[in-house]
Amino acid sequence: MTGYLNLILRLAIWFLLTADLSLANLIIGVSVALLLPRSRTTPGALKDWLRALGEIVVAIPQAYIEAVEIILRPHTQEAVTMERVKPGRTPGLIFLDIFLITFTPKTIVLKYHENGWYEVHRVIRRQRS
Amino acid sequence: MQQQIMSDIFSYGCISIGILFWFWGTLPLIGHRSVLFKLHGLSVADTLGSMSIILGLLLKIPSEYPLLILAIISLAIWNTVLGYVLAYCSSRGKVSHE
Amino acid sequence: MNIVLGMMLLALLIPIYEAWQDDDIWQKLLAFASIATKTSIMILVVAVLRDDWMIGVVGVIILSVGNAALMLLAQLIKRMNDAATNYE
Repeated sequence: MTGYLNLILRLAIWFLLTADLSLANLIIGVSVALLLPRSRTTPGALKDWLRALGEIVVAIPQAYIEAVEIILRPHTQEAVTMERVKPGRTPGLIFLDIFLITFTPKTIVLKYHENGWYEVHRVIRRQRS
Repeated sequence: MQQQIMSDIFSYGCISIGILFWFWGTLPLIGHRSVLFKLHGLSVADTLGSMSIILGLLLKIPSEYPLLILAIISLAIWNTVLGYVLAYCSSRGKVSHE
Repeated sequence: MNIVLGMMLLALLIPIYEAWQDDDIWQKLLAFASIATKTSIMILVVAVLRDDWMIGVVGVIILSVGNAALMLLAQLIKRMNDAATNYE
């Protein structure tokens, strides 16, 4: 559910900004995060969300590995490919997917097509002939 | 004492890796490549390089961790989303020009 | 730390030069995005260097609200380009 992500994001910003874990501050943070208006969207499976969060944790070292790769072996060619969106994704999960693809330095999402395709721009080492 | 030296080495290591990434990713800006190719370089420099510099600062002053972690998170999210928006807008602009 | 700051200034000069010499609007926007991130990281480094955390708070706030304006600007330029081509 986008609600989970929203709530986690709000609480994280609140606690990092105030840097205070006392009971009073905890109550204020949770109640403010719950009271702020949020949009109603169709709920996605909790399992998908957990997997997406896991992918974020994996994505950070992977991004650094890719960065070192393109530094050591220069990638000079560009290519645009199409990738299929996994079925049954809610808008929040699609946003997370786009974020993950763009976060790794070799690939950038150019456009999301409504009928279930990402247009991905990537750098490659040499032209595949 | 020993620990102090170790954390100093780690923090300066992170900062110098970050600055290396900055130079590597920013130098392609001068030159005649497409916007998208430069965007790949900038995502190395401005997202990953800056994250590593902030990590180095975090090791230097661990007492200010909440704000620095907030800085890392917002840096990652904003820069990635900006990269996507720039790629989307600039590619559409080029298509309509042709 | 002074050397670090000097290197960062040197890296900052590259996008500034690019923004000055290139006429294409998207290349300019790219350079400005780079300048925005680099200066806010430099603010954080200066804060650590001078051990003044008030400066650091400013840097963190700039980072966390920062690039929204650039995103709006990109959307605006795209709409204007589209409108111009439709008009022709």
